Amino acid sequence: MLMQVEHFDDFTLASSWERFISEIEAVCRQWMADGPKNLLEKGAVRLEFSKNLYKVKSELKYASKSYCMEYYFEIPHNESKGSVWNFSLHEMQLCFGVKEFLVIAPQSASGVVLDAPEASKLLSAVAIALSNCSSLLPVVVPVHDPSRKAYIGIQNMGTVFTRRFEADHMGTQVPVQLMHLEGLYELFISKFAYSTLDLSVHLFKVHFTMKLTYRTLPYDEDDDVQGTDTEPTESEGNPGDDTHNKAQWDDDCPWSEWYSAEDPIKGFELIAIWSEKMVESSLQMAELENDSPREADKWIIFPQLSQNLSDASNGNQVGFASQMHLLIDALDMSFEAQFMEDFVSAVENPGPDNLKASRVIPPPSVVDRVLKELFREGMRDPNFAKGEHKNSRVVKGAPLESLFAQFCLHSLWFGNCNIRAIAALWIEFVREVRWCWEESQPLPKMPANGSIDLSTCLINQKLQMLAVCIERKRELNEDFEDCIGSMDQASPRVKEDDPVGEESDSSIMWTPGEDFDRKCDSPMTPENLHGSGMTVSRFNNEPEDVGLADLKASDCIRRGSAGVVGSMMLLKSNQRMHTPLTQDAPLMTEDMHEERLQAVEAFGNSFANISSEFTGLTEEASSVILLQNFSAQLERDILSSDMSAFKAANPDAVFEDFIRWHSPKDWEDDDAQENKSSEKLPIVDSDHGWPPQGQLSQRMSEHGNIWRNIWNDAPALPASEQKPLLDPNREGEKVLHYLETLRPHQLLEQMVCTAFRASADTLNQTSHGSLGQMAIKIGQIYVTMASVLKPLQVDRLSAGSEIIEDLRRLCVVLEHVEKLLTVAASLHRKFLQAPRLSEAIFSDYYNFNLPRMGTGSLGESTEMTFNKKQQVRIHERPVVSNMFTHPTANQSWRKVLSMGNLLNGHEPIFREIIFSIRDRVSGNHYAAYPSRVYQEEIETYRMYICGTSNDLRVALSVVSCD
Amino acid sequence: MDSSSNQPEFDYLFKLLMIGDSGVGKSSLLLSFTSETFEDLSPTIGVDFKVKYVNVGGKKLKLAIWDTAGQERFRTLTSSYYRGAQGIIMVYDVTRRDTFTNLSQVWAKEIDLYSTNQDCIKMLVGNKLDKESNRAVTKKEGINFARDYGCLFIECSAKTRVNVQQCFEELVLKILDTPSLLAEGSKGMKTNIFKERPPQTDASTSSCC
Repeated sequence: MLMQVEHFDDFTLASSWERFISEIEAVCRQWMADGPKNLLEKGAVRLEFSKNLYKVKSELKYASKSYCMEYYFEIPHNESKGSVWNFSLHEMQLCFGVKEFLVIAPQSASGVVLDAPEASKLLSAVAIALSNCSSLLPVVVPVHDPSRKAYIGIQNMGTVFTRRFEADHMGTQVPVQLMHLEGLYELFISKFAYSTLDLSVHLFKVHFTMKLTYRTLPYDEDDDVQGTDTEPTESEGNPGDDTHNKAQWDDDCPWSEWYSAEDPIKGFELIAIWSEKMVESSLQMAELENDSPREADKWIIFPQLSQNLSDASNGNQVGFASQMHLLIDALDMSFEAQFMEDFVSAVENPGPDNLKASRVIPPPSVVDRVLKELFREGMRDPNFAKGEHKNSRVVKGAPLESLFAQFCLHSLWFGNCNIRAIAALWIEFVREVRWCWEESQPLPKMPANGSIDLSTCLINQKLQMLAVCIERKRELNEDFEDCIGSMDQASPRVKEDDPVGEESDSSIMWTPGEDFDRKCDSPMTPENLHGSGMTVSRFNNEPEDVGLADLKASDCIRRGSAGVVGSMMLLKSNQRMHTPLTQDAPLMTEDMHEERLQAVEAFGNSFANISSEFTGLTEEASSVILLQNFSAQLERDILSSDMSAFKAANPDAVFEDFIRWHSPKDWEDDDAQENKSSEKLPIVDSDHGWPPQGQLSQRMSEHGNIWRNIWNDAPALPASEQKPLLDPNREGEKVLHYLETLRPHQLLEQMVCTAFRASADTLNQTSHGSLGQMAIKIGQIYVTMASVLKPLQVDRLSAGSEIIEDLRRLCVVLEHVEKLLTVAASLHRKFLQAPRLSEAIFSDYYNFNLPRMGTGSLGESTEMTFNKKQQVRIHERPVVSNMFTHPTANQSWRKVLSMGNLLNGHEPIFREIIFSIRDRVSGNHYAAYPSRVYQEEIETYRMYICGTSNDLRVALSVVSCD
Repeated sequence: MDSSSNQPEFDYLFKLLMIGDSGVGKSSLLLSFTSETFEDLSPTIGVDFKVKYVNVGGKKLKLAIWDTAGQERFRTLTSSYYRGAQGIIMVYDVTRRDTFTNLSQVWAKEIDLYSTNQDCIKMLVGNKLDKESNRAVTKKEGINFARDYGCLFIECSAKTRVNVQQCFEELVLKILDTPSLLAEGSKGMKTNIFKERPPQTDASTSSCC
């Protein structure tokens, strides 16, 4: 049986050569039978550069060699139709003008190189196999060394015609005539001229199309060495002394204050395409060579990106993200010690930790410079809105321009952000803050008014508190020095000297003691007051006018008035009601709030009920309640303070008057209609309808109402004479105690949050035109930061915890955004006059990067190069053309120009040309398929030429009748 | 918060905040909910606080409800109570139109300014439904405002206790439906955005960079 089979084999397949052919045939039949769809399912791979070109391969053995046969085929795709200059064409498609094809080559691993005879033998084997299965596929075989890119190939055209392919390459010494279009044209003509002898007479209708690629000169060719030298120095904290450095591209970018980024865009390549035209003589070609690329039909541009940009794993790019990595290292280490001082003193006992070497504290001169920048420069009021994104607040940091945010940014670049350098800087920082406190000097870069922003980090809140305390301490000191203790002198003075109504401003200048009282009232004055008679501003309603009238009556005893309240009259005395200057609600940082909340919660559930029965209790019992109402006590103090101030400003007022001012909804007017009309015309008739008719609301008038009790106990005292609700000396000292005893990890946690936010805020200021994706990305990074940083606020962090890993991922995310932004900024400034292009290119780049930006995982890099191209519209051409600046003398002598079609003196770096001749071949050759081919014009000769100024590659396909 | 050290006798702790003009009945509403009684209470000074344990959706919840004073003088102080609130109840009086308009003109702005919780659930409550005859704000208006501002809406009466339970219940259910709020409310739970969300390709919807 077995013998029989071998016997059978011997008869049919005479030689190994024939076996090889039948093997090829079998593979081809299988491929043809499968068709593209099934091949896809069987694992055909798509070529990276193409949208619709796939390949399958199969290994074959012949003699002792193994070959690899690849079948390239297209899946119909609606996009990539059209031009011969389609960028996703395979080399073979471009060279020979074929669609699908076979390539057979020795396995590259075997290292076999085909010489010409062997290549043609291989080729004919495949050709035979293909004709056996009546396939019309072209097949090509590489010849010689792969670097030569020489091929031969053949295609059975299904008739008596056969197409042959040939490609070769000239690496050096290209003859001069072949550098010019004219010579290349003649080369093409010579390929078929043998059939028509009188070449000079005959006009060939040669189709010609050309694609030229130009490249801009590198932007900073000459300063490369210098540029890379300075960057490391800067990162060590000496951005000041790089005076020798010439202007960087990003000098006006917001990050340049901290570092200089490499321009991510090294240059641009411009592709100019001349679409197909008919050429009939070599003279015409010579003219074409003089064409400026401005006459090309199509311009396409794409950026050349810096190598570092695509290299995700390469972390030595300096930027916020790189420094944040270091800061997180420091955070990880911060758990080692109790106090920041421990890190600084650790230098005396060098431990086994060999990392110590990298933890160098910069010299005192650098410390001094940083402190000077932090504390001495920019004393002016910081503009906190600057750089703020609408999402900034979700990250619990500090405003970019604030003292602590600036401290954090400086530490990022101070001694490369090692924990010891941070500790040293922090200690000096706190020392400087204490100096401000002791000397009552205003804290720089911190507002000394307003309320404490609880959305910021605790350190910033504390510094804000300190700034306010210092301000109040200064006011108290000034009061003391001027011996101006009482307000009753101040008020009349205001009115005499400043009748124009700028009362509040002037009073701040003259009587600092009144200052904060005044400010505290301002939040009550905006237009969003209750819809009652109080809606009318308490200050601006011509206070002098009425005030003077009142002065006559009760000038001597009225104290601490901020003007009258609209047209409101007192109930028991025919006088206008005055708004008292009140004390500001005491400022509290979030930890103080937290204390209060916990106290309320601890006793909370009951206190309201008890307090409503507050009256009639013994002394002892009420003190118990006071203790329980620890938190409500504060509100009660404020209420009492307001009542005292009201009494002082309105000596003849009763409790009901106070309620009408303070809680207008608890006063029920008898005649609401009348009230409304007087509200609209407040000064028409001040005596109209006095005394006002009405009564307290039910809940206010109940017996034992706690409000009335407080009213009864409140002495008439203007705010300036009351015990302050906030004791600046005590609170300021508490802040310093906090700063001085802050645990290292608590400091570092807040630094991380603040530095993240400040980095994002800085980057956010980058002008990048209006790139939608960038704006979204920046908006998102705040949200991402907020959610990653949230655990830091819970204070249950330990060294090496999972959160540290998350933070490192966040750095990677920041790095992506940072890179994107440098690209966006770079594109923006290069295409100021053609914003559409910068948007389009950025959008391509963004989409290219998107898949890699999702996770923020570390060290993930895919080997992909960005090669998206954008077509330049006609009106944008000048902008692009201007990028090709005329070469300087220095640049131009280096190069001898050898090609034509110069663009501002630049020759193309790459030139591609396709010549072709088309023919309707006479019918009698096509007896088998007369109707089909008759209508079809086929390219009988086609030549693809590509080359630079010193090499040339030519590929020819010729249809011939065998 | 003080109970966190012990075995928690609840699954989640939610912080709720009540705001609105003075006299709209915030404290009465709260009292009606927590002790199921109605009293005409004296005006709140500053802030009041109550705790209520409830079972909603099969979960034991501890609700810490902060009741703030409506008087503007206290407003600077109450700002701190917005911090970390998972739910904010905006109360108005259906018989007083100004209390309704102030919600959009005053209180909604306060929320934007002080709330630290982006996902925080807001609820619009029209109180004093028992005084139907004096009604000055229609239900439709309430619904429209709620729709514009993206919050829940209910009308109720602290006095007759109509819809009072439903009001709090609905708010809590909504909080339970919101993962980020849930994560805050439970102790020791941790979210990791890098692990939770796979990379999204759609730029406009992905909230992670």
